[in-house]
Amino acid sequence: MDASPQEFRAIVERHQARVFSIAYRILGESGVAEEVAQDVFLELHRNLPRLASEEHLTAWLRRVACHRGTDALRRRAARGGMAAEEYQDGMALRPVVRDFIPLMNRVEQLLLTLPPQQRAVMLLRYQEDLEPEDIALELKMPLATVRSYLQRGVKMLRAKADRTLKEYSRG
Amino acid sequence: MVEKMDPFEQELREQLQARSAPGGFADRVMARVPHGRAPRETFLGFGLGFRQPVWRWAVAAVLVAGMVLGGLEHDRQQRLAGERAREQVLLALRITGSTLRDVQQKVGARDERESFSQKGTVREKDDQ
Repeated sequence: MDASPQEFRAIVERHQARVFSIAYRILGESGVAEEVAQDVFLELHRNLPRLASEEHLTAWLRRVACHRGTDALRRRAARGGMAAEEYQDGMALRPVVRDFIPLMNRVEQLLLTLPPQQRAVMLLRYQEDLEPEDIALELKMPLATVRSYLQRGVKMLRAKADRTLKEYSRG
Repeated sequence: MVEKMDPFEQELREQLQARSAPGGFADRVMARVPHGRAPRETFLGFGLGFRQPVWRWAVAAVLVAGMVLGGLEHDRQQRLAGERAREQVLLALRITGSTLRDVQQKVGARDERESFSQKGTVREKDDQ
């Protein structure tokens, strides 16, 4: 594909919600998510000639947004920010994490309690509406791993949602 | 195969609809994008349009043909150089052979002369 500045802007406008949402839901922080999403589009600008069609471009954006999001999470963990492991312990989101995500809806907050890779798989399934086979292709992951991530992810989110509901009703 | 979602998964899907990007996001991206058109894929930096598969195959075929012809030409040059070296070695051997023959002839002639002169001296001594 080839694009003039106007055409490239149209591409950005068409896909910005998708890319920003993936980055935001992996990272849980709007500022860093925007930075990552901008970097994804700059990378797209460099790689545009290699992308043959709109479908190819969309798949590329999804894949790169997931990878750059999890990379940023890893960098943040290495710097001593929120480690990925912090999210895994059920609803034990520490107060600092809660402060990061006041604007997130409940499902988005629960999603942050999953490991980053699993988070990416869940996003591609429920945000992007992809079938497990397509997720496996896009993330270059075995299909069995994708299915297992999805099954365990839904089970964990369901359990956490039930627990939250009970905590809420207990007051 | 399309997998069916249960009500909880449907709820997940609804809650995870794409969010809007922050206002002015596209402007900020465009401010960071290098000016001009998105870079065209180039071949060896010559700016050739190289996106059509047919062109890729054509260029690949030309490159392969060039490599094969180059290889054949290289083999031919090597063979010619080998033949030239062989001829030079044979010539050198011929020259050496003829030189040796000359030397042998000269040595033989000198030996004969010496033996003649020695015989003459012995005969003179005998006569005396």
